[in-house]
This record gives sequence, C-alpha cells and structure tokens, in this order.
Amino acid sequence: MRGQAEALVPMIEAVMAEAAADYGNLDVIAVTIGPGAFTGLRIGLATARAFSLAAGTPLFGVSSFDAVLAGAPVVAPDESTHKSVLVALETKRADIYAQMFDTAGAPVSDPAAVEETALAEFAGAELPVLVMGGGAERALKVLEAGGVDAVLSPAPAHADAGTIARMAASHWRPGLAQPSLEPLYLRPPDATLPAPRDLAAKP
Amino acid sequence: MNLLGIETSCDETSAAVISGGNGAAPSILSNVVLSQVDIHQPYEGVVPEIAARAHLSHIDRIVAQAMDEADIDFAALDGIAVAGGPGLIGGVIVGVMTAKAIAAVHKLAFLAVNHLEGHALTVRLTQDLEFPFLLLLVSGGHCQLLAVTGVGAYHRLGTTLDDALGEAFDKTAKMLGLGYPGGPQVELRAKTGDAGRFDLPRPMRGRPGCDFSFSGLKTAVRRRIEKIGAPTDTDIDDICAAFQCAVGDVLADRAGRALDIFERRFGDPSALVVAGGVAANQYLRGQLSNFAAARGLELAAPPPDLCTDNGAMIAWAGLERLRLGLTDGLDFAPRPRWPLDPNAAPAMGAGVKA
Repeated sequence: MRGQAEALVPMIEAVMAEAAADYGNLDVIAVTIGPGAFTGLRIGLATARAFSLAAGTPLFGVSSFDAVLAGAPVVAPDESTHKSVLVALETKRADIYAQMFDTAGAPVSDPAAVEETALAEFAGAELPVLVMGGGAERALKVLEAGGVDAVLSPAPAHADAGTIARMAASHWRPGLAQPSLEPLYLRPPDATLPAPRDLAAKP
Repeated sequence: MNLLGIETSCDETSAAVISGGNGAAPSILSNVVLSQVDIHQPYEGVVPEIAARAHLSHIDRIVAQAMDEADIDFAALDGIAVAGGPGLIGGVIVGVMTAKAIAAVHKLAFLAVNHLEGHALTVRLTQDLEFPFLLLLVSGGHCQLLAVTGVGAYHRLGTTLDDALGEAFDKTAKMLGLGYPGGPQVELRAKTGDAGRFDLPRPMRGRPGCDFSFSGLKTAVRRRIEKIGAPTDTDIDDICAAFQCAVGDVLADRAGRALDIFERRFGDPSALVVAGGVAANQYLRGQLSNFAAARGLELAAPPPDLCTDNGAMIAWAGLERLRLGLTDGLDFAPRPRWPLDPNAAPAMGAGVKA
C-alpha cells in the first residue's frame, strides 16, 4: 500500500505518454473494485472516478475475483482435473475473501469473506475444486485439512492492469453505464457503538 | 484566477470554486459542504473508516455540483487545491487522488494545501488584511497561537499540552449527555445558563508563555456533574455557561501573553485573527473582541460558515500559494501529520494536536 497514493497518477501519465494517448480519446476507464485492502481500493477508485468526471469517460468496474480468473491461462472445462473453481484472496485476517465459479468461469456464489472453518462448505460438492488467487495456498491448506479434494492452479495470484484493460475491451459496450462505482468491501467498518450511559451513575 | 478547492480531511466532504488574485476582490463562486455528522452521531465521534467510505461515495458528485454552481468548466480553472493533511488519512487520500486526477486530465496547477493553512488564511479571503497577524487557531483537533508572517510562514507561540479546544467542548457535552458534536450544543445551553453558579478553574491563566491545557477544566466539570448526580436542565445550562466562561477567560489570558511575545519578536500585528471550527462560537468571539479592543487591536474572524471545514478555504490557500508559484507535483504523498510550524518543539502529551 505504501506509496500507491504517490505513484499512481504519475504512472498513469507515463502510460498515457508511452501510448501517445489523450485522456479525451479514451472510450472507457477500467478499475478493480475489490475486494482488497480498503485504502488501496479507495486510491484506485477515487482516481478512476475523478478521471471519469474530468474527462467525461465512462467507468468499467472489475471485481478482483473476475480479474484473477481472467488472468488465468485456461479455465478449460477439463473434468479430469477439476469440476469447480475457487478464487481465494488474502485478507491478512483470519478469514478469506472467496467466490466460487464453474469451469466455464461463470459465478456460482456471491463474493464473501469466509471464515476458514466455513470454507469447505463454501467450496461445495463439485469436486475437485481448482483454487487460485493471492489466498490460494492458505485456502488449499484449509481445504485439504478438511478432507476436500482441491488442486492448486498455476494461474498468477494477482491480475495486472493489462488484464483489467483487456476485460473492459471485451465486455464494455457504449451505453453500459456504471454511474457510481463503489468498492466491494465485503466487510463493515470497524466501529462499535458506545454502551448506553446512565448519566447519574457514570458520567 | 479560478481555483477549485477540495476538503476531505475530517467529516465534511466539500468542494468550492473561488475567483480572485488579479487585483479584484476575491469571490466565492460556489462552496458545497456535505456534513457527515448524521452517520457518525451514533458513535459519538468520527469513525475514520466510515468517514473514508463516505468521502469516496460523494466526492465526485460534490465536485461536479461545485463546478455546476460556479458555472465553470474544468478547462477554465487555473489550479486545483486539496487539503493534503493533517487529518484522517483515509479521507485525505480520497481528496488528494480526486484532485490529482482532475489536474492530470486538464493540465492544471496542483496544490497540496495544509488544512490548517486553509483555516489560517481564510480571513484574507473575506477581508483585506496584511501580514503579519496573530492567529488563534481553535478546532476539534487543534489549539494554537501562531505568528503568521506570510503565506507558508508560521511561528508557533503556544499550543495545547493535552486536549484541543473543540475536544474539550465535545467531552463536556458528552458528560452532560448532549450528544455529538457537542460544541454547538454547549454554546446553545450556555445562553440560558448562569455562568456564576459554578466556580471552574482557569487552567494556565497567569503562567508564563502562552500554552493551553484543558484536561483540568474537563476534570472539574466531571466532578461537578458527579456531585450533582442527575443534573436538571438548569444544572446543565449553568455548567455549560460556567465552562464557556472559563474558556473565554483562558483564551483572553493566553492571547494577551501571545501578543506580548508577538510584539517583541515581530512588531505590531495587523489584527488578532481567530479561525477554526471553535471560532464559530459567538460567545468566544465576543470575549476575544473585547480583549482585542482593550489592547487597541482589531479582531478579525471569518464568517461562521467559513470557520468550520469547507472547500473555499482550501481553494483560497491554494490561490495564495499559486500566485507565489508554490505548486506541488502529482507525486505528493498525503500527510496524516503536518505541523504548520515545522520548527516548533513537540509539546508533551499533545500528540498530533501540536
């Protein structure tokens, strides 16, 4: 995370210059919406939303799960190796961000923050399950310990910006508007309501 | 010159467009402020993650509204200024990234403004005031006396050793069950209260230097409430009045000391300026005005709606910096801590408030 707020806009300027592209000529701006580190998501989304406002360019949001899946070399319906796909992303907490897909890459669950103890059930009955993403190794260990038939995918753990741009190129169409793109936090803010106070007893 | 200003460093999402700096009197073309008070109220304070999420949800719409109300295009701006800190870093980042992206697209000057400099210079947006001036900066996060000798030139003369003044107001309100934010509630209740019924201390009064301390006053208020048990509406009014009266006395005493130091080091100030959210308090403005008059000095204060956090003050500080060529790069790193006077020694116990 450190340094992203400093690096991002100069990096975009450099990429635009290298491509000899003008902000006004872009058809769409694609951005990952998460899940991921909250601050990092906000750095990307605040920047993308402001580029969209300033240049009048539509936005295309991509979930981190879809991005990992799109970056995988092949998710072929090869029933000999796996019958479902789990994209697992690291939360740096006890739980794991997870979403299930079929072998054609279509989602079969909502994205969720799943406790390790609930991961085997989340993975379902279409086994073996192919596991990919930044949290894949931890997820695989948890699944194997639970007796679930799981295999580790050789796919890259994280998608790069090129993958995100290619996804927009193949899925975005004019008129497909996503007006206020919000992060996929998958977790409420850490905040506890104060206990009710008895003014006389404990001011 | 036309500047867009963005403020997201605490619990206000704000954007404004101002014009000025070329001989004509500056004017505020728009100043849109979206307060997050409602979403933080249940927690009795600002929750940083909730604030950051809300800033992101609204900032682009607020900027668009400010541009729309000012009836101006991005291309007609000369620069874009943003509060780059100090403050809640999650919110600051949202504002800074928004400003950088707009600046990149329209090749505008980018100015990362110290939020406190926004408060400090606002008075020059609303009236013709020369440097140097003595500044009392009082807000939810700060309580300082500074000599302001120019744009970017701040000399801290005194600061709080514990709580910020706005914090002391909020904590008093909380102890009395007046809810959050408590400052305006305390002021309201004090209007019908008898300030003479309770004798509260005036911390630091008469001491050398011009530092502040409010923890002793806060403790005295708590003891009073404990002694009463279940305060009636009249008790609450009287405590609020006594608290506010004590604060007024302390501010006048400390400002007097600061003025002595100022005159020795920098000569005569053009005015005593009070700024920051607590400067919206009409009673304290009155007390400071009496003090200033007694010392043959003018009290200058922005109108109350420009004392609380807003985009216009950031746009104005940006304009002041832009005409001196003090622009920033798009690689600016948002700063959770950013003292106005980098040479001032850290104050014990005050943390980021110094």
